Amino acid sequence: MKPMLSTDLNVADTTVEKAKIEVKNLNFYYGQSKALKDINLSLPERSVTAFIGPSGCGKSTLLRVLNRIYELYPKQSAEGEVLLDGKNILDRSQDLNLLRTKIGMVFQKPTPFPMSIYENIAFGVRLYEKISKAEMDSRVESALKRAALWNEVKDKLNASGQSLSGGQQQRLCIARTVAVKPEVILLDEPASALDPLSTAKIEELIDELQADYTIVIVTHNMQQAARVSRQTAFMYLGELVEFDRTEKIFTSPREKRTQDYITGRFG
Amino acid sequence: MAEHTVASFDEDLRQISRLINDMGDLAGSMVGGSTRALLESDNALAQRVVSDDAIMDARQRELDDRAITLIAKRQPMADDLRHVVGSIRMAGDLERIGDLAKNIAKRVGSVGVSTAPRDLTHSIDSMAQLVLIQVQAVIQEYTVGDATALAKLRNDDERIDVKYTSVFRELLTYMMEDPRNITACTHLLFCAKNLERIGDHVTNIAENAYYVLTGTQLPANRPKQDETAMSAPAA
Repeated sequence: MKPMLSTDLNVADTTVEKAKIEVKNLNFYYGQSKALKDINLSLPERSVTAFIGPSGCGKSTLLRVLNRIYELYPKQSAEGEVLLDGKNILDRSQDLNLLRTKIGMVFQKPTPFPMSIYENIAFGVRLYEKISKAEMDSRVESALKRAALWNEVKDKLNASGQSLSGGQQQRLCIARTVAVKPEVILLDEPASALDPLSTAKIEELIDELQADYTIVIVTHNMQQAARVSRQTAFMYLGELVEFDRTEKIFTSPREKRTQDYITGRFG
Repeated sequence: MAEHTVASFDEDLRQISRLINDMGDLAGSMVGGSTRALLESDNALAQRVVSDDAIMDARQRELDDRAITLIAKRQPMADDLRHVVGSIRMAGDLERIGDLAKNIAKRVGSVGVSTAPRDLTHSIDSMAQLVLIQVQAVIQEYTVGDATALAKLRNDDERIDVKYTSVFRELLTYMMEDPRNITACTHLLFCAKNLERIGDHVTNIAENAYYVLTGTQLPANRPKQDETAMSAPAA
Protein backbone atom coordinates (compact mmCIF):
# COMPACT_ATOMS: atom_id res chain seq x y z
CA MET A 1 0.00 0.00 0.00
CA LYS A 2 1.17 3.52 -0.73
CA PRO A 3 2.65 5.16 2.34
CA MET A 4 1.03 8.25 3.69
CA LEU A 5 3.15 11.13 2.55
CA SER A 6 3.74 14.54 3.96
CA THR A 7 1.19 15.97 1.59
CA ASP A 8 -1.42 13.93 3.42
CA LEU A 9 -0.30 15.21 6.79
CA ASN A 10 -3.11 16.89 8.57
CA VAL A 11 -3.79 19.89 6.42
CA ALA A 12 -4.19 22.24 9.36
CA ASP A 13 -0.59 21.48 10.40
CA THR A 14 1.03 22.07 7.05
CA THR A 15 -0.89 25.17 6.14
CA VAL A 16 -0.12 26.89 9.42
CA GLU A 17 3.43 25.67 9.81
CA LYS A 18 6.23 26.21 7.39
CA ALA A 19 8.28 23.17 6.44
CA LYS A 20 11.84 23.50 7.75
CA ILE A 21 13.12 20.39 6.04
CA GLU A 22 11.61 18.69 3.03
CA VAL A 23 12.84 15.27 2.00
CA LYS A 24 12.06 14.45 -1.62
CA ASN A 25 12.47 11.11 -3.38
CA LEU A 26 15.38 10.21 -1.14
CA ASN A 27 17.26 6.94 -1.70
CA PHE A 28 20.26 5.89 0.34
CA TYR A 29 22.85 3.20 -0.23
CA TYR A 30 25.36 1.42 1.95
CA GLY A 31 27.52 0.22 -0.94
CA GLN A 32 25.13 -1.77 -3.12
CA SER A 33 22.53 -2.19 -0.44
CA LYS A 34 19.60 0.20 -0.56
CA ALA A 35 18.78 1.39 2.94
CA LEU A 36 16.20 4.09 2.21
CA LYS A 37 13.62 3.74 -0.51
CA ASP A 38 12.04 6.80 -2.03
CA ILE A 39 11.43 8.73 1.18
CA ASN A 40 9.21 11.80 1.01
CA LEU A 41 8.33 13.80 4.07
CA SER A 42 8.16 17.32 5.35
CA LEU A 43 9.30 18.38 8.83
CA PRO A 44 7.48 21.43 10.17
CA GLU A 45 9.52 24.24 11.68
CA ARG A 46 9.81 24.52 15.48
CA SER A 47 8.24 21.25 16.23
CA VAL A 48 9.39 17.77 17.26
CA THR A 49 9.25 14.94 14.75
CA ALA A 50 9.93 11.36 15.88
CA PHE A 51 11.21 8.54 13.69
CA ILE A 52 10.24 5.12 14.97
CA GLY A 53 10.59 1.60 13.64
CA PRO A 54 12.38 -1.68 14.34
CA SER A 55 16.18 -1.96 14.22
CA GLY A 56 17.48 -1.68 10.70
CA CYS A 57 14.39 0.12 9.38
CA GLY A 58 16.42 3.13 8.26
CA LYS A 59 15.37 5.69 10.85
CA SER A 60 18.92 6.45 12.02
CA THR A 61 20.11 6.42 8.42
CA LEU A 62 17.51 9.03 7.53
CA LEU A 63 18.60 11.14 10.49
CA ARG A 64 22.24 10.84 9.37
CA VAL A 65 21.34 12.07 5.90
CA LEU A 66 19.84 15.25 7.30
CA ASN A 67 23.25 16.67 8.25
CA ARG A 68 25.24 14.53 5.81
CA ILE A 69 27.18 12.95 8.63
CA TYR A 70 27.14 9.71 6.62
CA GLU A 71 29.81 11.20 4.39
CA LEU A 72 32.35 10.53 7.09
CA TYR A 73 32.11 6.89 6.02
CA PRO A 74 33.14 5.38 2.68
CA LYS A 75 30.73 3.83 0.19
CA GLN A 76 27.65 5.55 1.55
CA SER A 77 25.64 7.67 -0.81
CA ALA A 78 22.36 9.51 -0.98
CA GLU A 79 20.30 10.51 -4.01
CA GLY A 80 17.26 12.71 -4.10
CA GLU A 81 16.76 16.01 -2.34
CA VAL A 82 16.82 17.24 1.22
CA LEU A 83 15.69 20.85 1.27
CA LEU A 84 16.61 22.99 4.25
CA ASP A 85 14.57 26.19 3.91
CA GLY A 86 14.15 25.32 0.25
CA LYS A 87 17.84 24.76 -0.46
CA ASN A 88 19.10 21.27 -1.31
CA ILE A 89 21.72 20.30 1.27
CA LEU A 90 22.73 17.23 -0.73
CA ASP A 91 24.07 19.57 -3.37
CA ARG A 92 27.86 19.24 -3.87
CA SER A 93 28.31 22.97 -3.35
CA GLN A 94 26.91 22.78 0.17
CA ASP A 95 29.49 23.83 2.79
CA LEU A 96 29.45 20.92 5.25
CA ASN A 97 30.81 22.84 8.22
CA LEU A 98 28.17 25.49 7.77
CA LEU A 99 25.51 22.80 7.36
CA ARG A 100 26.52 21.16 10.64
CA THR A 101 26.32 24.41 12.55
CA LYS A 102 22.78 24.80 11.27
CA ILE A 103 21.89 21.19 11.94
CA GLY A 104 23.32 19.94 15.24
CA MET A 105 23.31 16.34 16.38
CA VAL A 106 23.27 14.54 19.73
CA PHE A 107 24.09 10.83 19.87
CA GLN A 108 22.89 7.87 21.85
CA LYS A 109 25.98 7.69 24.02
CA PRO A 110 26.95 10.97 25.69
CA THR A 111 30.17 12.15 24.06
CA PRO A 112 31.68 14.96 26.15
CA PHE A 113 35.15 16.03 25.04
CA PRO A 114 37.94 15.25 27.52
CA MET A 115 38.07 18.85 28.68
CA SER A 116 36.31 21.11 31.17
CA ILE A 117 32.59 21.68 31.16
CA TYR A 118 33.19 25.26 30.03
CA GLU A 119 35.52 24.23 27.23
CA ASN A 120 33.14 21.53 26.03
CA ILE A 121 30.83 24.32 25.01
CA ALA A 122 33.31 27.06 24.11
CA PHE A 123 35.30 24.73 21.84
CA GLY A 124 32.61 24.43 19.20
CA VAL A 125 31.71 28.11 19.34
CA ARG A 126 35.34 29.11 18.76
CA LEU A 127 35.47 27.10 15.56
CA TYR A 128 32.91 29.36 13.94
CA GLU A 129 32.96 32.65 15.78
CA LYS A 130 35.50 35.02 17.25
CA ILE A 131 33.95 36.45 20.40
CA SER A 132 35.32 38.09 23.54
CA LYS A 133 35.79 36.24 26.83
CA ALA A 134 32.79 38.02 28.32
CA GLU A 135 30.64 37.11 25.36
CA MET A 136 31.85 33.54 25.55
CA ASP A 137 31.05 33.38 29.28
CA SER A 138 27.59 34.57 28.53
CA ARG A 139 27.21 32.13 25.61
CA VAL A 140 28.31 29.19 27.80
CA GLU A 141 25.93 30.22 30.55
CA SER A 142 22.95 30.61 28.24
CA ALA A 143 23.68 27.27 26.52
CA LEU A 144 23.90 25.50 29.89
CA LYS A 145 20.70 27.19 30.99
CA ARG A 146 19.01 26.19 27.76
CA ALA A 147 20.04 22.60 28.43
CA ALA A 148 18.73 22.82 32.02
CA LEU A 149 22.20 22.05 33.35
CA TRP A 150 23.37 25.45 34.61
CA ASN A 151 22.22 25.09 38.21
CA GLU A 152 23.98 21.75 38.55
CA VAL A 153 27.34 22.84 37.11
CA LYS A 154 27.68 26.62 37.59
CA ASP A 155 30.08 26.16 40.52
CA LYS A 156 32.32 23.67 38.73
CA LEU A 157 32.67 24.89 35.18
CA ASN A 158 36.34 23.92 35.21
CA ALA A 159 35.65 20.33 36.23
CA SER A 160 35.99 17.73 33.50
CA GLY A 161 32.90 17.16 31.38
CA GLN A 162 33.50 13.46 31.85
CA SER A 163 33.08 13.76 35.62
CA LEU A 164 29.36 14.39 35.19
CA SER A 165 26.68 11.71 35.43
CA GLY A 166 25.38 10.12 32.22
CA GLY A 167 22.25 12.28 32.19
CA GLN A 168 24.27 15.44 32.87
CA GLN A 169 26.76 14.49 30.14
CA GLN A 170 23.92 14.14 27.67
CA ARG A 171 22.54 17.54 28.63
CA LEU A 172 26.08 18.92 28.27
CA CYS A 173 26.11 17.56 24.72
CA ILE A 174 22.78 19.24 24.07
CA ALA A 175 24.20 22.50 25.51
CA ARG A 176 27.19 22.11 23.19
CA THR A 177 24.86 21.69 20.24
CA VAL A 178 22.69 24.64 21.23
CA ALA A 179 25.72 26.92 21.81
CA VAL A 180 26.53 27.20 18.09
CA LYS A 181 22.96 28.42 17.48
CA PRO A 182 21.67 25.70 15.19
CA GLU A 183 18.27 25.77 13.50
CA VAL A 184 17.68 22.05 13.61
CA ILE A 185 18.66 19.54 16.31
CA LEU A 186 18.92 15.84 15.48
CA LEU A 187 18.66 13.49 18.45
CA ASP A 188 19.67 9.88 17.92
CA GLU A 189 18.31 7.85 20.84
CA PRO A 190 19.28 10.64 23.23
CA ALA A 191 17.88 9.03 26.36
CA SER A 192 18.28 5.30 25.75
CA ALA A 193 21.32 5.04 28.03
CA LEU A 194 19.80 7.12 30.82
CA ASP A 195 17.81 6.37 33.96
CA PRO A 196 14.12 7.40 34.10
CA LEU A 197 14.73 10.66 35.93
CA SER A 198 17.47 11.79 33.52
CA THR A 199 15.22 10.70 30.66
CA ALA A 200 12.41 12.86 32.04
CA LYS A 201 14.79 15.83 32.20
CA ILE A 202 15.85 15.30 28.58
CA GLU A 203 12.20 15.06 27.52
CA GLU A 204 11.33 18.22 29.40
CA LEU A 205 14.25 19.89 27.68
CA ILE A 206 13.10 18.74 24.24
CA ASP A 207 9.69 20.18 25.00
CA GLU A 208 11.25 23.55 25.83
CA LEU A 209 13.69 23.57 22.92
CA GLN A 210 10.99 23.12 20.29
CA ALA A 211 9.95 26.72 20.82
CA ASP A 212 13.19 27.75 19.07
CA TYR A 213 14.39 24.74 17.11
CA THR A 214 13.17 22.15 14.69
CA ILE A 215 13.84 18.85 16.40
CA VAL A 216 14.06 15.36 14.97
CA ILE A 217 14.33 12.44 17.36
CA VAL A 218 15.02 8.79 16.67
CA THR A 219 13.84 6.58 19.48
CA HIS A 220 13.11 2.94 20.21
CA ASN A 221 10.97 3.97 23.12
CA MET A 222 7.49 4.41 21.71
CA GLN A 223 6.09 5.99 24.83
CA GLN A 224 8.86 8.54 24.52
CA ALA A 225 7.96 9.26 20.89
CA ALA A 226 4.32 9.59 21.94
CA ARG A 227 5.24 11.97 24.76
CA VAL A 228 7.68 14.31 23.08
CA SER A 229 6.80 14.55 19.40
CA ARG A 230 4.17 16.43 17.43
CA GLN A 231 4.40 14.18 14.40
CA THR A 232 5.71 10.66 14.03
CA ALA A 233 7.11 8.77 11.07
CA PHE A 234 6.98 4.98 11.18
CA MET A 235 9.62 3.33 9.03
CA TYR A 236 10.06 -0.29 8.06
CA LEU A 237 12.63 -1.96 5.81
CA GLY A 238 13.84 1.37 4.47
CA GLU A 239 10.37 2.64 3.63
CA LEU A 240 8.34 5.39 5.19
CA VAL A 241 5.18 3.50 6.03
CA GLU A 242 3.16 6.20 7.72
CA PHE A 243 3.66 9.81 8.74
CA ASP A 244 1.04 11.64 10.71
CA ARG A 245 0.26 13.58 13.83
CA THR A 246 1.65 11.67 16.82
CA GLU A 247 -1.68 11.21 18.57
CA LYS A 248 -3.12 9.73 15.40
CA ILE A 249 -0.21 7.29 15.01
CA PHE A 250 -0.49 6.07 18.59
CA THR A 251 -4.27 5.91 18.92
CA SER A 252 -5.51 4.94 15.46
CA PRO A 253 -2.84 4.47 12.81
CA ARG A 254 -4.01 3.94 9.24
CA GLU A 255 -1.56 1.25 8.28
CA LYS A 256 -1.71 -2.27 9.63
CA ARG A 257 2.09 -2.45 9.75
CA THR A 258 2.19 0.61 12.01
CA GLN A 259 -0.53 -0.84 14.20
CA ASP A 260 1.27 -4.17 14.51
CA TYR A 261 4.57 -2.52 15.36
CA ILE A 262 3.34 -0.11 18.00
CA THR A 263 1.15 -2.71 19.68
CA GLY A 264 4.03 -5.20 19.74
CA ARG A 265 2.58 -7.68 17.26
CA PHE A 266 5.34 -7.54 14.73
CA GLY A 267 6.71 -10.46 12.74
CA MET B 1 -5.36 -10.05 14.66
CA ALA B 2 -1.80 -11.29 14.98
CA GLU B 3 -0.72 -12.57 18.36
CA HIS B 4 1.07 -10.16 20.62
CA THR B 5 4.80 -10.83 21.05
CA VAL B 6 4.17 -11.10 24.80
CA ALA B 7 1.54 -13.85 25.07
CA SER B 8 0.37 -12.79 28.54
CA PHE B 9 -0.59 -9.39 27.09
CA ASP B 10 -3.11 -11.13 24.82
CA GLU B 11 -4.42 -13.07 27.79
CA ASP B 12 -4.88 -9.83 29.78
CA LEU B 13 -6.81 -8.30 26.87
CA ARG B 14 -8.96 -11.44 26.54
CA GLN B 15 -9.84 -11.30 30.24
CA ILE B 16 -11.14 -7.76 29.75
CA SER B 17 -13.19 -8.84 26.73
CA ARG B 18 -14.59 -11.75 28.73
CA LEU B 19 -15.69 -9.41 31.50
CA ILE B 20 -17.42 -7.10 29.02
CA ASN B 21 -19.24 -10.10 27.58
CA ASP B 22 -20.23 -11.32 31.04
CA MET B 23 -21.50 -7.89 32.00
CA GLY B 24 -23.39 -7.62 28.71
CA ASP B 25 -25.07 -10.99 29.28
CA LEU B 26 -25.92 -10.03 32.84
CA ALA B 27 -27.31 -6.64 31.72
CA GLY B 28 -29.55 -8.42 29.19
CA SER B 29 -30.80 -10.86 31.79
CA MET B 30 -31.42 -8.09 34.34
CA VAL B 31 -33.34 -5.91 31.87
CA GLY B 32 -35.38 -8.90 30.63
CA GLY B 33 -35.95 -10.14 34.18
CA SER B 34 -36.98 -6.80 35.63
CA THR B 35 -39.52 -6.05 32.92
CA ARG B 36 -40.95 -9.57 33.05
CA ALA B 37 -41.20 -9.28 36.84
CA LEU B 38 -42.98 -5.95 36.37
CA LEU B 39 -45.42 -7.22 33.76
CA GLU B 40 -46.16 -10.45 35.58
CA SER B 41 -45.95 -9.06 39.13
CA ASP B 42 -43.30 -11.67 39.88
CA ASN B 43 -41.69 -10.66 43.16
CA ALA B 44 -39.27 -13.57 43.28
CA LEU B 45 -37.89 -12.70 39.87
CA ALA B 46 -37.64 -9.04 40.92
CA GLN B 47 -35.61 -10.11 43.95
CA ARG B 48 -33.23 -12.04 41.73
CA VAL B 49 -32.65 -8.97 39.58
CA VAL B 50 -31.95 -6.89 42.67
CA SER B 51 -29.36 -9.36 43.89
CA ASP B 52 -27.81 -9.65 40.41
CA ASP B 53 -26.87 -6.01 40.64
CA ALA B 54 -24.22 -6.87 43.25
CA ILE B 55 -22.66 -9.28 40.76
CA MET B 56 -22.69 -6.56 38.09
CA ASP B 57 -20.93 -4.15 40.44
CA ALA B 58 -18.30 -6.76 41.31
CA ARG B 59 -17.65 -7.44 37.60
CA GLN B 60 -17.18 -3.75 36.96
CA ARG B 61 -14.70 -3.42 39.81
CA GLU B 62 -12.79 -6.42 38.53
CA LEU B 63 -12.70 -4.95 35.02
CA ASP B 64 -11.48 -1.60 36.35
CA ASP B 65 -8.72 -3.32 38.30
CA ARG B 66 -7.61 -5.37 35.33
CA ALA B 67 -7.72 -2.45 32.92
CA ILE B 68 -5.78 -0.11 35.21
CA THR B 69 -3.19 -2.81 35.90
CA LEU B 70 -2.87 -3.53 32.19
CA ILE B 71 -2.30 0.14 31.38
CA ALA B 72 0.32 0.40 34.14
CA LYS B 73 2.13 -2.79 33.12
CA ARG B 74 1.85 -2.79 29.34
CA GLN B 75 1.28 0.81 28.20
CA PRO B 76 -1.04 -0.35 25.40
CA MET B 77 -1.07 1.53 22.10
CA ALA B 78 -3.46 2.06 19.18
CA ASP B 79 -6.30 -0.49 19.05
CA ASP B 80 -5.12 -2.12 22.29
CA LEU B 81 -5.33 1.25 24.01
CA ARG B 82 -8.78 1.94 22.55
CA HIS B 83 -9.88 -1.53 23.59
CA VAL B 84 -8.84 -1.05 27.22
CA VAL B 85 -10.11 2.51 27.65
CA GLY B 86 -13.29 1.71 25.70
CA SER B 87 -13.91 -1.30 27.94
CA ILE B 88 -13.68 0.84 31.08
CA ARG B 89 -16.28 3.19 29.64
CA MET B 90 -18.56 0.43 28.36
CA ALA B 91 -18.39 -1.27 31.75
CA GLY B 92 -19.55 2.00 33.32
CA ASP B 93 -22.60 2.06 31.06
CA LEU B 94 -23.36 -1.63 31.65
CA GLU B 95 -23.18 -1.06 35.39
CA ARG B 96 -25.65 1.82 35.06
CA ILE B 97 -27.96 -0.39 33.01
CA GLY B 98 -27.82 -2.85 35.93
CA ASP B 99 -28.76 -0.07 38.36
CA LEU B 100 -31.72 1.01 36.23
CA ALA B 101 -32.93 -2.58 35.86
CA LYS B 102 -32.66 -2.98 39.63
CA ASN B 103 -34.71 0.18 40.07
CA ILE B 104 -37.45 -1.28 37.84
CA ALA B 105 -37.33 -4.51 39.83
CA LYS B 106 -37.69 -2.66 43.13
CA ARG B 107 -40.93 -1.05 41.91
CA VAL B 108 -42.57 -4.40 41.13
CA GLY B 109 -44.09 -4.70 44.60
CA SER B 110 -45.52 -1.19 44.56
CA VAL B 111 -47.09 -1.52 41.13
CA GLY B 112 -48.41 -5.02 41.80
CA VAL B 113 -50.53 -4.10 44.82
CA SER B 114 -52.28 -1.25 43.11
CA THR B 115 -53.19 -3.24 39.96
CA ALA B 116 -52.13 -1.33 36.89
CA PRO B 117 -54.44 -1.24 33.90
CA ARG B 118 -53.51 -4.19 31.66
CA ASP B 119 -53.69 -2.05 28.52
CA LEU B 120 -50.93 0.07 29.90
CA THR B 121 -48.52 -2.76 30.57
CA HIS B 122 -48.84 -3.78 26.91
CA SER B 123 -47.19 -0.61 25.70
CA ILE B 124 -44.49 -0.90 28.39
CA ASP B 125 -44.05 -4.49 27.25
CA SER B 126 -43.33 -3.50 23.66
CA MET B 127 -40.98 -0.75 24.78
CA ALA B 128 -39.14 -3.24 27.00
CA GLN B 129 -38.81 -5.64 24.06
CA LEU B 130 -37.16 -2.93 21.97
CA VAL B 131 -34.76 -2.05 24.78
CA LEU B 132 -33.88 -5.67 25.46
CA ILE B 133 -33.07 -6.29 21.80
CA GLN B 134 -30.78 -3.25 21.81
CA VAL B 135 -28.97 -4.33 25.01
CA GLN B 136 -28.37 -7.81 23.67
CA ALA B 137 -27.37 -6.65 20.21
CA VAL B 138 -24.84 -4.03 21.25
CA ILE B 139 -22.46 -6.43 22.98
CA GLN B 140 -22.99 -9.03 20.30
CA GLU B 141 -22.09 -6.61 17.48
CA TYR B 142 -19.08 -5.41 19.45
CA THR B 143 -17.91 -8.97 19.98
CA VAL B 144 -18.16 -9.81 16.28
CA GLY B 145 -16.60 -6.45 15.40
CA ASP B 146 -19.41 -5.10 13.20
CA ALA B 147 -18.95 -1.30 13.28
CA THR B 148 -21.66 -0.67 10.67
CA ALA B 149 -24.23 -2.54 12.77
CA LEU B 150 -23.17 -0.50 15.81
CA ALA B 151 -23.72 2.79 13.98
CA LYS B 152 -27.19 1.63 12.96
CA LEU B 153 -27.96 0.33 16.43
CA ARG B 154 -27.08 3.71 17.89
CA ASN B 155 -29.58 5.39 15.58
CA ASP B 156 -32.21 2.80 16.48
CA ASP B 157 -32.41 4.36 19.93
CA GLU B 158 -34.74 6.80 18.24
CA ARG B 159 -37.43 4.10 18.18
CA ILE B 160 -37.18 3.72 21.96
CA ASP B 161 -37.52 7.47 22.39
CA VAL B 162 -40.63 7.49 20.21
CA LYS B 163 -42.07 4.62 22.21
CA TYR B 164 -41.29 6.37 25.47
CA THR B 165 -43.08 9.50 24.33
CA SER B 166 -46.18 7.50 23.52
CA VAL B 167 -46.07 5.57 26.82
CA PHE B 168 -45.71 8.86 28.65
CA ARG B 169 -48.75 10.34 26.96
CA GLU B 170 -50.76 7.21 27.54
CA LEU B 171 -49.91 7.17 31.24
CA LEU B 172 -51.01 10.77 31.60
CA THR B 173 -54.31 9.89 30.02
CA TYR B 174 -54.85 6.99 32.44
CA MET B 175 -54.06 9.17 35.39
CA MET B 176 -56.48 11.87 34.22
CA GLU B 177 -59.18 9.32 33.62
CA ASP B 178 -59.02 7.83 37.08
CA PRO B 179 -56.97 9.24 39.97
CA ARG B 180 -56.79 5.76 41.50
CA ASN B 181 -54.35 4.89 38.73
CA ILE B 182 -51.91 7.57 39.81
CA THR B 183 -49.74 5.49 42.17
CA ALA B 184 -49.31 2.63 39.74
CA CYS B 185 -48.91 4.89 36.75
CA THR B 186 -46.27 6.99 38.48
CA HIS B 187 -44.22 3.89 39.20
CA LEU B 188 -44.72 2.73 35.64
CA LEU B 189 -43.68 6.12 34.40
CA PHE B 190 -40.41 5.76 36.30
CA CYS B 191 -40.01 2.29 34.85
CA ALA B 192 -40.55 3.64 31.34
CA LYS B 193 -38.07 6.42 32.02
CA ASN B 194 -35.57 3.82 33.26
CA LEU B 195 -36.04 1.83 30.07
CA GLU B 196 -35.50 4.97 28.05
CA ARG B 197 -32.30 5.69 30.02
CA ILE B 198 -31.13 2.13 29.42
CA GLY B 199 -31.54 2.86 25.73
CA ASP B 200 -29.30 5.91 26.14
CA HIS B 201 -26.61 3.82 27.83
CA VAL B 202 -26.82 1.33 24.95
CA THR B 203 -26.24 4.28 22.64
CA ASN B 204 -23.14 5.24 24.64
CA ILE B 205 -21.87 1.68 24.46
CA ALA B 206 -22.46 1.60 20.70
CA GLU B 207 -20.51 4.84 20.29
CA ASN B 208 -17.61 3.60 22.41
CA ALA B 209 -17.58 0.23 20.69
CA TYR B 210 -17.56 1.95 17.30
CA TYR B 211 -14.55 4.02 18.36
CA VAL B 212 -12.73 0.97 19.73
CA LEU B 213 -13.25 -0.88 16.45
CA THR B 214 -12.57 1.93 13.98
CA GLY B 215 -10.53 4.62 15.76
CA THR B 216 -13.00 7.25 14.60
CA GLN B 217 -15.92 8.82 16.42
CA LEU B 218 -19.48 8.70 15.22
CA PRO B 219 -20.90 12.17 14.49
CA ALA B 220 -21.97 13.97 17.68
CA ASN B 221 -25.56 14.47 16.60
CA ARG B 222 -28.04 11.69 16.23
CA PRO B 223 -31.81 11.90 15.88
CA LYS B 224 -33.66 12.46 19.19
CA GLN B 225 -37.34 11.74 19.51
CA ASP B 226 -38.05 12.06 23.23
CA GLU B 227 -40.66 14.80 23.17
CA THR B 228 -42.02 14.33 26.65
CA ALA B 229 -40.57 17.62 27.80
CA MET B 230 -42.83 19.29 25.22
CA SER B 231 -45.90 17.11 25.68
CA ALA B 232 -47.24 18.17 29.04
CA PRO B 233 -51.04 18.15 28.84
CA ALA B 234 -52.76 21.48 28.32
CA ALA B 235 -54.10 22.79 31.60
